[in-house]
Amino acid sequence: MAVNHVEARPYRPDWKRGRVAGWVTTVDHKRIGLLYIATTLVFFLAGGVLALLMRAQLATPNEQFITKESYNELFTMHGVTMIFLVVVPIFAGFANFLVPLMIGARDMAFPRLNALSYWLFLFGGIVLYSSWFSTGGAPDVGWTIYPPNSVFAGGTGVDLLILSLHILSISSLLGAINLIVTIHRMRAPGMTWMRLPLFVWSIEVYAAMLVVVLPALSAGLTLLLLDRKAGTHFFLPAEGGNALLYQHVFWFFGHPEVYIMILPAMGIISEILPVFARKPIFGYAAMVLALVAIGFFSLLVWAHHMFTVGLSRPLLGFFMVASMVIAIPTGIKIFNWLATTWRGNLIFDTPMLYALGFVGVFTIGGLSGIFLAAFPFDWQVHDSYFVVAHLHYVLFGGSMFGIFAGLHYWWPKLFGRLLDERLGKLSFWLVLAGFNLTFFPQHMLGMMGMPRRIYTYGQGGAWEWYNLASTIGAGVMGVGIAVIALNVIVTSRRGRRAGGDPWRGDTLEWYTTSPPPPENFDRPLPYISSARPLRDLRRRIQESGAG
Amino acid sequence: MPAAAAALTVLALALASAALAGNGGLAPPDAESPNAEGINQTYYFILAFTGVIFVLVEGLLLLFVFRFRRGRRSREAEGPQIRGNTRLELIWTLLPVLILVAIGGFVFYKLPGIQNIPSANAQGGRLDVTVEGHRYYWEYRYPNGVVAVDRMRAPVGQNVQLTLVAPVDDVIHSWWIPAFGGKLDTIPGQTNRTWFRARRSGTFVGQCAEFCGIQHAAMLAAVEVMPREEFEQWLASEERAQRTGSSMLGADTWAGACAKCHGQNAQGGIGPTLIGNGAFRDREALEAIVRQGQGEMPPIGQTWDDRQVDALYRYVRREFGSGGGTGGG
Repeated sequence: MAVNHVEARPYRPDWKRGRVAGWVTTVDHKRIGLLYIATTLVFFLAGGVLALLMRAQLATPNEQFITKESYNELFTMHGVTMIFLVVVPIFAGFANFLVPLMIGARDMAFPRLNALSYWLFLFGGIVLYSSWFSTGGAPDVGWTIYPPNSVFAGGTGVDLLILSLHILSISSLLGAINLIVTIHRMRAPGMTWMRLPLFVWSIEVYAAMLVVVLPALSAGLTLLLLDRKAGTHFFLPAEGGNALLYQHVFWFFGHPEVYIMILPAMGIISEILPVFARKPIFGYAAMVLALVAIGFFSLLVWAHHMFTVGLSRPLLGFFMVASMVIAIPTGIKIFNWLATTWRGNLIFDTPMLYALGFVGVFTIGGLSGIFLAAFPFDWQVHDSYFVVAHLHYVLFGGSMFGIFAGLHYWWPKLFGRLLDERLGKLSFWLVLAGFNLTFFPQHMLGMMGMPRRIYTYGQGGAWEWYNLASTIGAGVMGVGIAVIALNVIVTSRRGRRAGGDPWRGDTLEWYTTSPPPPENFDRPLPYISSARPLRDLRRRIQESGAG
Repeated sequence: MPAAAAALTVLALALASAALAGNGGLAPPDAESPNAEGINQTYYFILAFTGVIFVLVEGLLLLFVFRFRRGRRSREAEGPQIRGNTRLELIWTLLPVLILVAIGGFVFYKLPGIQNIPSANAQGGRLDVTVEGHRYYWEYRYPNGVVAVDRMRAPVGQNVQLTLVAPVDDVIHSWWIPAFGGKLDTIPGQTNRTWFRARRSGTFVGQCAEFCGIQHAAMLAAVEVMPREEFEQWLASEERAQRTGSSMLGADTWAGACAKCHGQNAQGGIGPTLIGNGAFRDREALEAIVRQGQGEMPPIGQTWDDRQVDALYRYVRREFGSGGGTGGG
């Protein structure tokens, strides 16, 4: 290290300069971010195909399109893929690319650790998907991997799933520590905590939550693996174990995981709405407090996933109240977003459409969550399609709408070219219509008695119609996502050049070129005196020009 | 404007189609038992608040999107730089608190009527039935020793306490008949209790709600509710029939516990074909397999009493015991 001149770029041997070798050996946060995002999008398409296969099987009663063995593999792999290989890591990708840019840093705090977490992530994904070719096929026990069923499951699918989740946990943990150190230690001069972009705040909470809850998952999975392979019986009642112990450990991780998947999307929306409303975010401090409050309370609500196991009344009451408490900061965020659009100059470019769509559909997911927190009603719809509808309103209507908004918003920063607006708007309408058609009827199916994770049903009438509508909606959504893919392909060569700041953004990532140079900023940063440094800069230039 | 408009259109279409079939899933099914009634009231109570919030949020979103669209303004034009409003923010922090207190209070107000199992000394007495969740069938045990599979019989108007269990070697299942209220899990090594009191005769269906393995979707349950005298008669005559070996228990056990994997005619399915299987003519072998399981087959009959094994044996011997194989019988 000391051999180089102070001014020189870090030394790179010839073999690292090739096109492929350059990507494989990169420690640049932007390239790692792109690797994350590209990989997760591939897994997203895979998980989406699994979902479409399930919807095809459920389109009509007594359908024979998919066998029961395969169906159980499909919903397990769909859930694990979307949670562990898409939503959580794509936020790692966004964070990798954006956090150093937004806080005015040259890179992440630990660039090589950063590369390690990406390659571990890819490896974990490959291990999971290799299970299709293993004895007994892919895991078929649901993403929650409940014992005793998961201990009894034959083949090696469940073992590969556990191995994969261990690898992915380590990857996430390294990434989270890296992000926390970066955010704490590398902010530009003047960027105090209350001048931090809300997306960076959301990543701070996301990373802190990962550090707190991932060890619980690792512990639970290790005990499960021992039960399967080493003859222990932590979770086997026949030998004196306790099957519910696993559920407590799993959901202590699993519920915060839901917020790990939604908070960064909220951060993205909080970046986009003000820019396209030409206003500051309404109630910045309340937005920060709400993020932190959601993160904290999410650690206290896990047993609302266990309302039907026969908990004592005080526990039922506690977990209902704790779950409802989360509705308060969530409500604050929704009302603050609405207030941000009030009297704005609303510009309906694609990122803004997805952001407004997020507010509209995420609200439905939040409200159905209040029903589920009321445990007597939860007894009625627990493990039914009502829950499937609720979680997709939160994780697709919330997380994925946020991701689509973010992709359209930062795409020009990532690649220097804008996505096409007409295709973008078309994709938005298709995804919005398809999404609601797919998932809204599932609320009704759940209340009518359709449990989740069944490969077929015999009922005709309304069951059949709602299921058919849901399948058609999934197809429409699939077309909408294909339009996004088409947009990416079409604009990759012919897209309009973005310039540094195509949207008139407020945060530091728009201060540099698109895509940014290797160490991010080729000119000195302005002193950060608010949460919107670029607007401050524009105003200073305007004033000095006028005066 | 367009975003939420499309969402609302879809919603309206879904609601319209739903209206064609009863409440069509817009609420839980009509309650046929007091505990289900309490749950439905909770649902409507919450819906009253969330419905208003839904209309308020989506309405404001549509209004703002329409009212504050850019229109002919420049892309550069800024809106007023409003950074917040403490009074407004306090309102939308505290109002939800009050709403949630109301919802929580209502839940606890209704809870005894939903969850408390009426005492055995209450008017009309109480029938106690044990429900045992197995891969992949339900086994019911009545106080007089009568056993039933998948289809439970119950009297109108009498409190029925359900004791929910699962054999220690089994997995977690969940008992759910929507018309009779919420679900409750059957968990190996744990005992849960719930209840219902049917309002009318009829057959009410449901199914296992906790994923329990390959035939989870086939784990259907039905409760046939009949007038009380009729029920008492059935229970007494079924007790005699099961004692003397003339009941349908063997056929029901075959259909519930065996046929879902091996086929109604033993032709095979998930499990191998059993046609010509020696256990059809060998009670000892049959008992060993159903009590201990074999390979991937779980020990489906580990909790059966001898009468149930006998009943199944008589059934399979009569139905399948003469075909192929080494003769005998």
